[in-house]
Amino acid sequence: MSFLNKLGIGTGAGRSPRREVPWPMGSNGRPRVVGPTAAAAVGTARVPELREANRVSNGLKELLWNLDGLGRGTLLDLGPAWQTTLSFFIERGFRVSSEDILREWKEFLSEEEAKLRETAGRTQEAPDVSPAGRAARFLEANLRYPVSSFDAILLWDLLDYFEPVASKQVVACLTELLRPGGVVFAMFHSKKPEGFHRYRVADSNTLQVIASPVLCPAQRVYQNREIQDLFGRYRTMKSFIGRDQLRESLFIK
Amino acid sequence: MWKKEEAKSQGVAESSPALPTASPAMSSAAAREGSTTLPISGRASACISQGIRIKGEVTGSEDLFIDGHFEGKLNLTNGSLTVGPNGEVKADIFAREVIVRGRVDGKIVGREKIQLWSTGNVAGDLQTERLAIEDGAVLRGRVEIETGKPIDKRFGASAGSGKTGTVSIGSGSAVDQ
Repeated sequence: MSFLNKLGIGTGAGRSPRREVPWPMGSNGRPRVVGPTAAAAVGTARVPELREANRVSNGLKELLWNLDGLGRGTLLDLGPAWQTTLSFFIERGFRVSSEDILREWKEFLSEEEAKLRETAGRTQEAPDVSPAGRAARFLEANLRYPVSSFDAILLWDLLDYFEPVASKQVVACLTELLRPGGVVFAMFHSKKPEGFHRYRVADSNTLQVIASPVLCPAQRVYQNREIQDLFGRYRTMKSFIGRDQLRESLFIK
Repeated sequence: MWKKEEAKSQGVAESSPALPTASPAMSSAAAREGSTTLPISGRASACISQGIRIKGEVTGSEDLFIDGHFEGKLNLTNGSLTVGPNGEVKADIFAREVIVRGRVDGKIVGREKIQLWSTGNVAGDLQTERLAIEDGAVLRGRVEIETGKPIDKRFGASAGSGKTGTVSIGSGSAVDQ
């Protein structure tokens, strides 16, 4: 039975034969960890290896407290599109926009590299390869929303993975997209992260931490002062440091 | 019962001229009908298979499976659209149900439901009653769910205590969780 059928919304159940992607489920209804052998056995189907851990998140709790009673708010999730995260906010009346910005950044860097190879030796056609130029080109194609579109932005720990100049420009861009009084939820590693993780909302004070293949290597570990400088245009910052050396921060515009 | 099924499939074949743009692809699909290799959705009566490239507008009320390239506009009022793993669609889509296993660039309105499988990649807004996203799917766009349910404006009893330890900007200290 596929994951979607397990949810009761798969198609064609009992009506016609169909090829299904095997999706191993744990007894708790969640996909269980899939080893390499099991993944290979399903052939071409891409079954991501998921290792989940739950994490109590005071930052999330505080974010929700700030959004409480907002009604039909708007939220921008800059992580991957997870069913649980989207459902959590949609059920509470939010209009959610999703953009996996780190994936876009990785694809952008690959394209830039390819372009550089093409234009090698032709100095007139070579693009501006400075980090600032690269970041500006990236933002020309991404985060294209009207000014003051969102009440909240889930930035997760993505700034640790951008080039520092790009991080600065991304934050400036997000500040424009946020309404006055809006909130940014971000996380920063206090030391260089050992693995690459994605996050999704499990409930109102719990995040699921999911080990994922590395998209981009961590670029920088931000100190508190640097974080404050990055978000200098915000009126309030609240921070929570977990035992896993992950700092959760809320920035209110 | 079996005769009913046969009659249904014949009826579908007869209705195929209702989708003039897709007819070349459908003839190839019909040629393969006996091989039972129609992927994913056995219900899909029309198929734009891999290697077929179509530009234009498709309207109809039957199900459609796209595993090739399509550019234009898709309007299947009561039908279901499945974009296969090799499918690439650059179009605004209106259908009763939309299943994405390939790539879609455009707005999707799935009146009843939209499903994004792990290989699905959508750049465009989604509007539906029910949405299912499998882990690994890529979505770049806004999601609007239209349900008749009242909105729960509160984020659960545990949220909103406002008593969590906080640090004002510039203090440089933090609260251990």
